[in-house]
Amino acid sequence: MEIVVWAGWLGGLAIGGFVILHFWLMGKPAGCSTGYGNVCGLLSKKLTYYRQGEYSNPNNTKLWFLIGIPLGGFLSAMSSPEPWHLTFDMGMYESILPQSEAAKALWLVFGGMLLGFGARLAGACTTGHALVGGAMMNPPSLLAGFVFFLSAMLTTQLLFNF
Amino acid sequence: MYKFPLLKSAKLFLISFSFVYRANFLALVMGVMFGFLMSHAGATTYDYHAKMFLMIDFQLMEVIATAVIVSMIGVFLLKQFHIRAISTGAEVDFVKKPYQSGLVTGAFLFGIGWAMTASCPGTVPAMIGEGKVGAVFVLAGLLLGTMAFGVLQTFIAHNKTISDTFK
Repeated sequence: MEIVVWAGWLGGLAIGGFVILHFWLMGKPAGCSTGYGNVCGLLSKKLTYYRQGEYSNPNNTKLWFLIGIPLGGFLSAMSSPEPWHLTFDMGMYESILPQSEAAKALWLVFGGMLLGFGARLAGACTTGHALVGGAMMNPPSLLAGFVFFLSAMLTTQLLFNF
Repeated sequence: MYKFPLLKSAKLFLISFSFVYRANFLALVMGVMFGFLMSHAGATTYDYHAKMFLMIDFQLMEVIATAVIVSMIGVFLLKQFHIRAISTGAEVDFVKKPYQSGLVTGAFLFGIGWAMTASCPGTVPAMIGEGKVGAVFVLAGLLLGTMAFGVLQTFIAHNKTISDTFK
């Protein structure tokens, strides 16, 4: 589905405004991947790591933030000229991903596992480290953001060129 | 026990409900906004990720650079004027993510996942909202990976014995 994409500077301006608005409304930095920890805490009571500290109350703002995101994506897709429909097409990635649907799904699950585990090990995802951490000029976040880009660029180059 | 008339108790219920849950409600609205903006900025379109890493098109670079500069100015101003947050009433807390051991390893693994799925934890839910089936599988993987980290940490916290971990 074709999503209407704004010019880079306009999208950046809007997301920068969003980060400031989030600080002002919520009083803390925006973050995405921590919410997945809340979901894991809700899924399993025995997983004490996601039941203590910042996860002691799983029904918190991080979880509700995560619930809101699909609605935003849906609204954005609604403004597209095409009607809303399900699609498994991955654009340029079709040429490098496995051909069968099942193998593609497994590939995506494995990639997702790396994302989830890596985000927890690094402490935050692209939003928490590169975007908000970069805005606060936090040295560990800048390092993490740099490594995110470096390793993703290396892997993409390998996938498409070798 | 004294009972209020129905209309008044309904009004009081609404007021207390919105007072208790205002932070969660605001977070929901913020989430909707985030998903909407991520989508319109192109972060949910697979090709932009490939094009950025292959250095063909720098749409996402432009987005993140502008966003960081704009929010940097905003953070500076919020700090300068000691602005109070709407939902908590306290001064905005610029809590910084600390350096933790494994940060570089974790970031490296994350980058590989980013290249493999062309998405990151923030854009996956937005992609689901757009009707991209692939994002459902990435979400499953994300939860499994997050779960694996929790299992590992719980295991370490329970003297590294399996029988103690899942009592």
